[in-house]
Amino acid sequence: MVRTLATLAMGFAFPAAVFAHHGWGSYDAANPVTVQGQIEALKYENPHASITVKAADKVWVVTLAPTSRMQTRGAPPEFVAVGKTVSAYGYPSTVEKDEMRAERITIEGKTVELR
Amino acid sequence: MLHEAPQFLIALEQSALGSAIRQSSWAYMAANVGHILALMLFVSTVAVMDARLLGAFAAAPPATVVRPVRRLAAVGLLLLAGTGFVLFTAEATHVATNPVFQLKAALIVLGIGNALLAGRLLREALDETPAFAPLPTQAWLCAVLSLSVWVTVAACGRLIAYF
Repeated sequence: MVRTLATLAMGFAFPAAVFAHHGWGSYDAANPVTVQGQIEALKYENPHASITVKAADKVWVVTLAPTSRMQTRGAPPEFVAVGKTVSAYGYPSTVEKDEMRAERITIEGKTVELR
Repeated sequence: MLHEAPQFLIALEQSALGSAIRQSSWAYMAANVGHILALMLFVSTVAVMDARLLGAFAAAPPATVVRPVRRLAAVGLLLLAGTGFVLFTAEATHVATNPVFQLKAALIVLGIGNALLAGRLLREALDETPAFAPLPTQAWLCAVLSLSVWVTVAACGRLIAYF
């Protein structure tokens, strides 16, 4: 009985574990982009902070990290304040138009890893 | 997301509660941790209950296992609902339009329906079946459905972030 239950549970858990390794499923990691421009808006909130960046080609929504991680990595709200110029390296969303998820951002010469 | 979501979801997400959850440094995190802890309580108690229905712990009369454990499972479900509501409210439009969440929601309805139905169908059998005696076939069906549904619900919950 216990063995049957364990087998049943593993049968469900295993595919989940396989999927979980593709954590960037809805971002195109094969085509990274660097978005450069002025920060037009900041949402410093959970589960992920985000900034709106006016780049040369278009206005991007750049998804950052949870606020607690931002804080510990040295990116408090002042660091990503509206008006600053940012360079964000990351992956474009395959779902949301003009959205990307930043791997790291550089502002005023300081680079912060967000992953 | 905002453009395709129904109005009430937009209203929920943009409510004072929604923004309070997003702007708090701990609320989302706490709800996230609480949701997983509640899930542990819920799934473990469901597994014990279903294992008894499937014939495990045969030395204990089924009612002595199923009845008390079912109450604990109900507590787990309530805690899941509460913490889940916090997580959902923070990103209502995003989450509700996610196909994995939609599957999860449908399976939750199925799981609760199955649990309520099992409670009715098996009431007499539970009261009358002594230790070591077999339970009716419905018990087996309800237990297998319950385990399959709830484990899949848990997997879907974790997978929402990846689709």
